[in-house]
Amino acid sequence: MRSRIYTIISGHFKSWYRSKSNIFWTIAFPLLLIVLFGAIFGNGSTKFDLYLQNQDLNANTPTMYSQGYISVLNNTGAFNLHTVAAGQTVQQALDYVKSDAQLHNRGQRLLVIPSGFNTTLNSGNDATIQLYMDQSDQASASLAGIVRSVTISYAASIAGAPDHLNLQQVGIVTRNIRYIDFFIPGVIGMTLLTTGVFGAVNTNGRYRELKIIKKLATTPLSKIEWILGMVGYQMILATISLVVILFFGYALFGVTATIDIYTVGLVVAAALLFPGIGMVLANFVKEAESADAAANAITFPMMFLAGTFWPRETLPDIMKIIANFMPLTYVNDGLRDALIYAEPAQALTNTIIALGLAAFFIVLGSMLMNWKEE
Amino acid sequence: MSNGQPAPFPGQSDKIVQVENLSKKYGENVAVNGISFSLTKGEVFAFLGPNGAGKTTTVEILECLRNPTGGQAKVLGYDVSKRSDQAEIRKRIGVLPQDFNAIDRLTVRENINYFGAMFKHQLDADKLIELVDLKDKRDEQFKRLSGGLKQRVGLAVSLVNDPDVVFLDEPTTGLDPRARRDVWGVVERLKSQGKTVFLTTHYMDEAEYLADIVSIIDHGQIIASGTPDQLIDTHGGKKTLIIREAGEEGLKQLPLGLPKAELRNAGDIAIPLNNGELTNILMGLGATPLHDKEIEVRRPTLDDVFLNLTGRRVSEEGN
Ligand SMILES: Nc1ncnc2c1ncn2[C@@H]1O[C@H](COP(=O)(O)OP(=O)(O)OP(=O)(O)O)[C@@H](O)[C@H]1O
Ligand SMILES: [Mg+2]
Repeated sequence: MRSRIYTIISGHFKSWYRSKSNIFWTIAFPLLLIVLFGAIFGNGSTKFDLYLQNQDLNANTPTMYSQGYISVLNNTGAFNLHTVAAGQTVQQALDYVKSDAQLHNRGQRLLVIPSGFNTTLNSGNDATIQLYMDQSDQASASLAGIVRSVTISYAASIAGAPDHLNLQQVGIVTRNIRYIDFFIPGVIGMTLLTTGVFGAVNTNGRYRELKIIKKLATTPLSKIEWILGMVGYQMILATISLVVILFFGYALFGVTATIDIYTVGLVVAAALLFPGIGMVLANFVKEAESADAAANAITFPMMFLAGTFWPRETLPDIMKIIANFMPLTYVNDGLRDALIYAEPAQALTNTIIALGLAAFFIVLGSMLMNWKEE
Repeated sequence: MSNGQPAPFPGQSDKIVQVENLSKKYGENVAVNGISFSLTKGEVFAFLGPNGAGKTTTVEILECLRNPTGGQAKVLGYDVSKRSDQAEIRKRIGVLPQDFNAIDRLTVRENINYFGAMFKHQLDADKLIELVDLKDKRDEQFKRLSGGLKQRVGLAVSLVNDPDVVFLDEPTTGLDPRARRDVWGVVERLKSQGKTVFLTTHYMDEAEYLADIVSIIDHGQIIASGTPDQLIDTHGGKKTLIIREAGEEGLKQLPLGLPKAELRNAGDIAIPLNNGELTNILMGLGATPLHDKEIEVRRPTLDDVFLNLTGRRVSEEGN
């Protein structure tokens, strides 16, 4: 006698691999995204990327000396300067640089012209410009060298102030994470989301419409066995997605990921969480087609806000708050912490949150699901 | 009509299904209103009624899918309202839900084995495939089959646990005449194997052709039960003499002193027949220009039974 749960898993799995559109959405589409986004954002520039925060403003326009210094930097032709808003503290500016640099595949380097720069130089006192960068940054030596010589030559050009302009180099620790490294875990999260939600909507909405669930309910099969079968199938699918995406990430872009216990925990969580959400949907929206539309309405915003394609730090504040309520956020973050950033503590937190949400949604979905009477 | 003593030992009685005063309400709506009937082993029982009559509700109570709001129902001696009995019922019944579809991307064979795996013991898939005559489609995916073949897969699936009783809810609705005949053929084979079959339908001819016992249900109540012959004899009314395509003109040519004749759709003349009148009428017709028309005597059908009992035709509401 074959086990009932095994039969359900294998039934779902056969239905999956015999459908071209299923294969497309779970395997080909994520790979397409990786190639596409990798190509768009993967272009390195021959110039040095440098973030610049000019705090020395007067009525929102740069003061004379700060403007002059920036022009000289620009004239070297060595830099792509990216402006950081003046109002932020240095820490905020660094956070911003971290995520924006990642998104655009740039090095994390920040040059800060302090407020009072102009006045200080005018009054003959010492002014200090700060350069934040990672010593291990490959561009570090040459970039610092150019900034240093710009500073010296600019100081010389200011009448009588050659000794008053200093450059202070501040070491920061950055991991040289490219956009593609950031993107790969996001694509995994996105795939787990869509296969999970749509898979559950399909097997619980459409199978209900086709009376397959009704038929099963007249056999000795129990509701719990049915749900376990579906979750088991989702775990297999999630594992396949993870392995395939990581493999291509490595093969095409050299993305190296570490698979650890948190990765496993997150895959398990995702295989419960997203089908759970799908089941809740399928039970509120009875008609299979409307349930499909509802699934779209939920997955798309979640995909965009939960940091799949770009870091959440770059979102407007209100969106950041909304993102905190999106289950995918914790799966994405956890996957990044575990696979790429090697931050076990954060990975653990996200895994626990994801597992908690998973338990909530799968239990809710199971309770809402009518196995017998409609 | 029920004479059912509850079975002393579950599963031991000849009464496969026993229903006493069964009711089901959905809120205010009374879908099944105090019905009683029973099924004997080896019988094909047809539950005949128009849309919304309460057929599915009744069947699904027997399949332990819905809870009755009143009365009692036993299947194979087990009480459908008891949780522990429900488990026993599920092992032993075969079910084809109304509008059932198997799994699209599994083959005929895989589907049979899929549903078979839900039971402890299942019949050999190939034997079932033979029974429903799907040998050359056995490895075809379900979604590629025509409607009639799909329904035969449903039948095979409903038999996979070698059930003691099979519930078929409108097994031929929506099928073309040829496919309906095929389904009938399968039911006949089941009958010859001695299986007990509970069938619902809104096709009068289907009930007449297949059933040993017919119960007519309307608005949640059983309005008549018996063998098709009994029902027709009791409620069918008179036989009718039909003179084909005689038209208005023919009506004028009828001999005097006949019962009141009426003109039907294709110009047929219909004359209600009292017992023993036939020869007289025929002799009378022989002397008129109507003597070379096609003439037949039509027996009342279950259609007439339903019409006489309710004042409506099933087909007016059926689809
Ligand atoms: N789940 C339900 N909730 C509320 N009312 C229902 C439900 N199921 C059926 N009904 C109502 O109960 C009545 C009987 O329905 P049922 O489905 O049993 O009829 P049926 O004879 O099977 O009809 P059909 O030939 O259309 O299948 C109908 O009025 C129907 O609207
Ligand atoms: Mg029905």
